Amino acid sequence: MLYSEDLLGRQNADGGWSYFLGGSWTEPTCYALLALAASGMGDAAEVRRGMGWLQRCQRPDGGFAPRESVQESTWVTALTLLLPPGTQGVDRSRAEAWTVDQTGRESGWVFRLRLWMLGADSSSDSLSFDGWPWFPGAAAWVGPTALSVLALQKLAKRGGGPASNSDLKKRIDQGVGYLLARRCSDGGWNHGSTRSLGYDSDSYPETTGLALLALHGVDDPKVAAGLTRAEQQLAVCQSSEGVSWLRLGLGAHGRTPLAPVAGDGSKVPVMHGGVMEIALAALTDAAQAGRNSFLDV
Amino acid sequence: MNPKNPLGPTRRAWTKAAGMAAAGVAAAGTLESCTRPPVARAQVWAPVSIYRAAAYSEELYDLVRRIIAEHALDVRGKRVVLKPNLVEFDAHTVINTNPKLVHAALEAFRAAGAADVRVAEGPGHRRVTLDLADAGGYFATVPKFESLFTDLNLDETTKVDLKRPVSKLQSLYLPNTVLACDLLVSMPKLKTHHWAGATLSMKNLFGVVPGGVYGWPKNVLHWAGIHQCIADLHTLFPNAFAIVDGIVAMEGNGPIQGTPRAAGVVVAGASPVAVDATCCRIMGLDPARIGYLQLAAGVQNLGEQLIPQHGERIESVAANFAVLPELAGLRLSR
Repeated sequence: MLYSEDLLGRQNADGGWSYFLGGSWTEPTCYALLALAASGMGDAAEVRRGMGWLQRCQRPDGGFAPRESVQESTWVTALTLLLPPGTQGVDRSRAEAWTVDQTGRESGWVFRLRLWMLGADSSSDSLSFDGWPWFPGAAAWVGPTALSVLALQKLAKRGGGPASNSDLKKRIDQGVGYLLARRCSDGGWNHGSTRSLGYDSDSYPETTGLALLALHGVDDPKVAAGLTRAEQQLAVCQSSEGVSWLRLGLGAHGRTPLAPVAGDGSKVPVMHGGVMEIALAALTDAAQAGRNSFLDV
Repeated sequence: MNPKNPLGPTRRAWTKAAGMAAAGVAAAGTLESCTRPPVARAQVWAPVSIYRAAAYSEELYDLVRRIIAEHALDVRGKRVVLKPNLVEFDAHTVINTNPKLVHAALEAFRAAGAADVRVAEGPGHRRVTLDLADAGGYFATVPKFESLFTDLNLDETTKVDLKRPVSKLQSLYLPNTVLACDLLVSMPKLKTHHWAGATLSMKNLFGVVPGGVYGWPKNVLHWAGIHQCIADLHTLFPNAFAIVDGIVAMEGNGPIQGTPRAAGVVVAGASPVAVDATCCRIMGLDPARIGYLQLAAGVQNLGEQLIPQHGERIESVAANFAVLPELAGLRLSR
C-alpha cells in the first residue's frame, strides 16, 4: 500500500490524525499533511479537512496546542509553520510571532544572574544560545530547537511575515549555535543533555538525524563528525522513525543512504503502524526523490 | 545535596544545578524553595514484602502470585495498569524493569481475576516507546505486547488540578489510562539516582506525565521541583501498589549510567512510601534523607519500626550500594 493511501485510511472523522488510535493530535496531523502534500495531494479534500482540524488548535496567543483539549501553546507551533504556504487554516503571522518569542528558560537573564551570583560558570557554550523549549517556561532542548530552526529558515526564505529577516536570522543563528553546543561526545545528538555529573551521554539516531537536518548548509567540523556518527547509527538502527530521521539528516548534507536491508532482502526495521513512522517514511522517500518538505519553500 | 535538608537550596546545590543546566537539564529540584506540608501523625504503614529472587526465572510467576495473595489484593473485575520503568536501552547495563517480572505480574493479576491488565509507560528521553520496549525485550517476553501496551506519552489526557501541591504546579494533564484504572502498579527498577538519591516506585510516576504535552524530557517537572513533583504525583494515585525489580539493580551513577548490582530481591507493597523507604534501607540509604519521602510522609513516619514486613528481613538482603560522592551524605548510619 502506498504511504499516502495508508495515511488517508487513518484520518479521524474530525479531520486530524492520532499517533496510533484515538483522538487527533497536532504533531501527527502536521506530519500526515506534510507527507500528503509531498505526494502531490496538497489540494485533496482530506488535506483541507486536516487543515480545518488544525485551525481549531490555534490558540489566542498565536501558538498551537498539542491537541484540542489542551489549553497551552507548545513546540508543535513550529510544525504548523513547515506546512506548504498554500494550505489554509493556519494564521501564520501569529504562529510565527509566537515561535520567535520562545526561548529556553536557562538562557534568560534571571537564571544567568543566579549562576553568576553563585560563582558558577554562566558563560558555558551550552548556556550561551537561545534554543527552544518543548513547553513554555522550561529549558531548551534539541528536538524543538531543530524544528523551530527549520520553520524559521522556511519563513526567512518566504518572507512577508511579521518578523524581519534580520530577527529571523538572529534566532536561526542562535538555534544553530545551540545545536552545535549540545552535540554529544560520540558525535551525534540526544535529547540535549550531553553530560551528566561529568559523565558523557550517548546520542540517539532520531535526534542525530533531526539535528543534522536543521544544520543543513552549516560548514563546521562538528557537523562532519555528526554525519559520521549518523552513518554508524544507520547501519544498526532498529527504529523505523530513527532510520527516517537519519536518512533525512544525511540527505540534507548531500549523502543519500539507502534504508537498511536485512539479509533476506526485507526492509528493517519492522514498522509498528504509527502515523508518525508512516508519514516520516513517506517524507524521507520524497526527500530522496528531490522534494524535501522540511527544506523546500 | 545537603543530607540534613535535601530540599533546601545550598550553595553547593545551586552550583551543581548550574552544571546540570550546562548539561541541558536546567534547574533541578534543589533550586526551588519548598513549603513543607503539614506533617501527619506517626502511622503504621501497609506491610512490605521482601523476597529473594536470584534470577529472572520462571519462579517469578509464583512469587508475584504469592505477593498478591499476601496483600489480599482483590482485583476481581478490576482494571489494572502495570507501569514499568523504561528509560533507554543499553545492552551493557540494566536501566529498565526486566520484562520477565512484568510478564509475571501480568499473568498473576489475570489469574487473580482482573478484568483488564495493561502495561503502560511514557519514557522521558526517547520518543519511540515501542522501539525502546522492543530493544528492552518486551516484545520477545510478553506475548501480544503491542496490543497490551499503552504509550502514556501519547494517550488521551485529562487536566487534573492538584490539591495543596508542594511543587509549583497547580495542575497537570495526565493520561486517561492511568486515571481510569482501579489499581496502578508501579514497577520500577531498584536504582540510585544522581539527583533524587533513589529512583523507586514514587519517582517512577514521572513516567505517567505525558511527553505529548510536556515534551521529552518532561522538563516542566524539573523546574517545579523534582522532589516536590514526585510527592505531588504520589497523592494523585491513592490506589497504587508497588513491585520493585531489585533482582539485578543499579548502583553508582543511576538512573542510566550506573553499574549493575545483583541484589537478588523483589520488594512489594500497597504503600509506595513504605516500599520506597524499605528499598532505600536495602540500598544502604537513609529514607529520612530522601527529599520526596520527607515530603510525602514526614521524617518521623519513615522509621523502620513503622513498616511491617513479610518475607526476608532488611538486614539479610541489604547491600551497601555505591553512590556518587555528592550523595554520600544520604548513606544510612548503621
